[in-house]
Amino acid sequence: MSGTVVIADDDSDIRALVRISATRAGLDVVGEHEDGDSALAAIRREVPDIAILDVAMPGLSGLEVCRLVRAESTLDGVRILLLSASVDEPTIAAGMSAGAADYLSKPFSPRELAARLSAYAEESR
Amino acid sequence: MRKLYNRLMAFLSVDHPSVGLKQLPLAVVFVISLLLLLLVPGVNITNPVLATIGMGLVLIATVCSALLTRFRSAERWAILIPLIDLLAIGTFRAGTGGILSLFGGMILLPVVWIAAEKGRRYIVVAGVGTVVALIIPYVVGSTEFMSASDVVRWTFSPLIYVFVAAIINELARQSRSQVRSIHELADEKERMLQRTFEYASQLEESEAKFRAADRMFRGVWAAVTEQSVIGTDVTGLIDAWNPGASKLLGVAQDDAERKRYVFEFHAADELESRARELNYPPGATVLNPGFSALVESARLGDAESREWTYVRDDGTTFPVALSVTKRVDESGETIGYLFVAADVTQAREVARLKDEFVGLISHELRTPLSSILGYLELMRDDDEHPLSGEQEQYLAVAERNAHRLLRLVGDLLFTAQVESGKFPLDLKDVELEHIVTAAVESARPAATAAGITIVEDVTDSTPVTYGDPVRLGQVCDNLISNAIKFTPKGGTVTVSLSRSDKDAVITVRDTGMGIPESELDQLFARFFRATTATRNAVPGVGLGLTITKAIVTAHHGEMGVTSEEGIGTEFTVTLPLVAQAAALR
Repeated sequence: MSGTVVIADDDSDIRALVRISATRAGLDVVGEHEDGDSALAAIRREVPDIAILDVAMPGLSGLEVCRLVRAESTLDGVRILLLSASVDEPTIAAGMSAGAADYLSKPFSPRELAARLSAYAEESR
Repeated sequence: MRKLYNRLMAFLSVDHPSVGLKQLPLAVVFVISLLLLLLVPGVNITNPVLATIGMGLVLIATVCSALLTRFRSAERWAILIPLIDLLAIGTFRAGTGGILSLFGGMILLPVVWIAAEKGRRYIVVAGVGTVVALIIPYVVGSTEFMSASDVVRWTFSPLIYVFVAAIINELARQSRSQVRSIHELADEKERMLQRTFEYASQLEESEAKFRAADRMFRGVWAAVTEQSVIGTDVTGLIDAWNPGASKLLGVAQDDAERKRYVFEFHAADELESRARELNYPPGATVLNPGFSALVESARLGDAESREWTYVRDDGTTFPVALSVTKRVDESGETIGYLFVAADVTQAREVARLKDEFVGLISHELRTPLSSILGYLELMRDDDEHPLSGEQEQYLAVAERNAHRLLRLVGDLLFTAQVESGKFPLDLKDVELEHIVTAAVESARPAATAAGITIVEDVTDSTPVTYGDPVRLGQVCDNLISNAIKFTPKGGTVTVSLSRSDKDAVITVRDTGMGIPESELDQLFARFFRATTATRNAVPGVGLGLTITKAIVTAHHGEMGVTSEEGIGTEFTVTLPLVAQAAALR
């Protein structure tokens, strides 16, 4: 496998959609979580290449997880992609300033997500 | 009885004695003279004919006077009565001894009457009358001119009577003038009394009105318990404090009025920063700078309403929407200010909850839509199990409707943001030609499909405004897609861009079904749909124009619309050019 990915979203259907996209991009899904806390724990444990986080989740939000990950130098290699149902410019700006590599608003195209993930996998290779 | 009394009083009236009353003394004197003739020896009738004529004349005069008293309209003939009397006396005198008659003195009575009439000429009348009366014994009687003393008698005696007449005339004139003055004074007094009565009743009326207004005012003042109403003088010293102020700020009326200043109940830092915004010099000035900041707009004559923070004495605070207005006296001089405030804690909480709700709804609707659209795409992209043409078609319908739902959610969210006054604008210089052209081009396929010609008419390509290109694009898209939706096959939609002195003007004109005139002013209201739209089953929920107008307003622009049913509609968007837009920033 060319890369690992941790997925966190409280909606199982979306999680599955993201998983399918990631698999199509040739990534290995090493963790699927429905809340921020367990996602953070998984990222620390697995140190994946990519973490795909929903912004609005129970417990820690995607933004908070993003900030905490960026605060840890051991996790510098983890690229974070935020997913959000919000279209607010401030939310997007907050996501980028929290250290996310990319931002995708829902609804997203699985095809486009797969394309972006392939590009990351290509880069990190 | 009463009638009789009135008639008697009219007869006896001193101010204006009746003819009968004037004649009465002579009539009485004549009766007495008759008695004297009958009873006193040595008083004899010398010529019975003349004496009888004399008595007859007096009788006639007396009867006439009685008639004239009864018929006042003929009173102008009254002067004839004393003249007849004079004739009567002259004749009677001639019949009772001529110049030696005892009854010559009676002449005085008609002379007094005549002389008392109004006008100097009556002195002459009295004189002539006297002469005639005195001369009669010589003319008709047996008396002969005997000596020079006779001549003197009938010239000297009339002279005395003339003098008497003149004196009486003058006295009567004076008396009349006094009576007139008295009457005038009495009239004046009557008028003044009348006026006083009128004033008194007016005063009473206005006092009643004032009391009613006062009661009304007190009622309203006491009824306002949810808003604080505070009145101050020009320095901010409180002189009016309503129950609402007591309730909201927890200070009793007696503890506030004349004891506290209004700015003591404001958050000091807020007043300071407002004072800084208005460039007031820091530190103490004649007036408290915070207070000056508070009343700045009101002082300049604008009724200002903005949010401030009130502070209670225990330090707790709450937000208020405060209107400040100027109080003026009759001459227009400012005598203080009125502060009407409503607690907006709840309103803010509601706004916050609404934002939260909108956020939640938006999230909860977009998440399932994400799944629907995502999985539909997966189905379409499944290379291992390609879809049949029919399946593709079904999928397209599902996708199209999911997108429609998504747009609706987006519009609702945007409308909510507009209402709470915070929708994000990414501002930069925008060349409007690009925006208009892009909107026209993206609408062209839909127009072609609907059999509508779309015309772009850019007369000036230079207008540049300061705005959010995405939102301005949305404005054009909305107007053009509306125009296409409401125009029947074969119609034309014309999109033009021009500029005036200060503004760029975008117009979108169609040859569609139009909008009834009565509905034009509701057109921009949320969820409003024109009857022409519902009647013709044009799809939509009535948010597009609301959003369009909100975007235009946020760009300090204006929107206008003219329409004629069955002919078409023209929407005009006016946006300030970049220099103006910068000034409005």
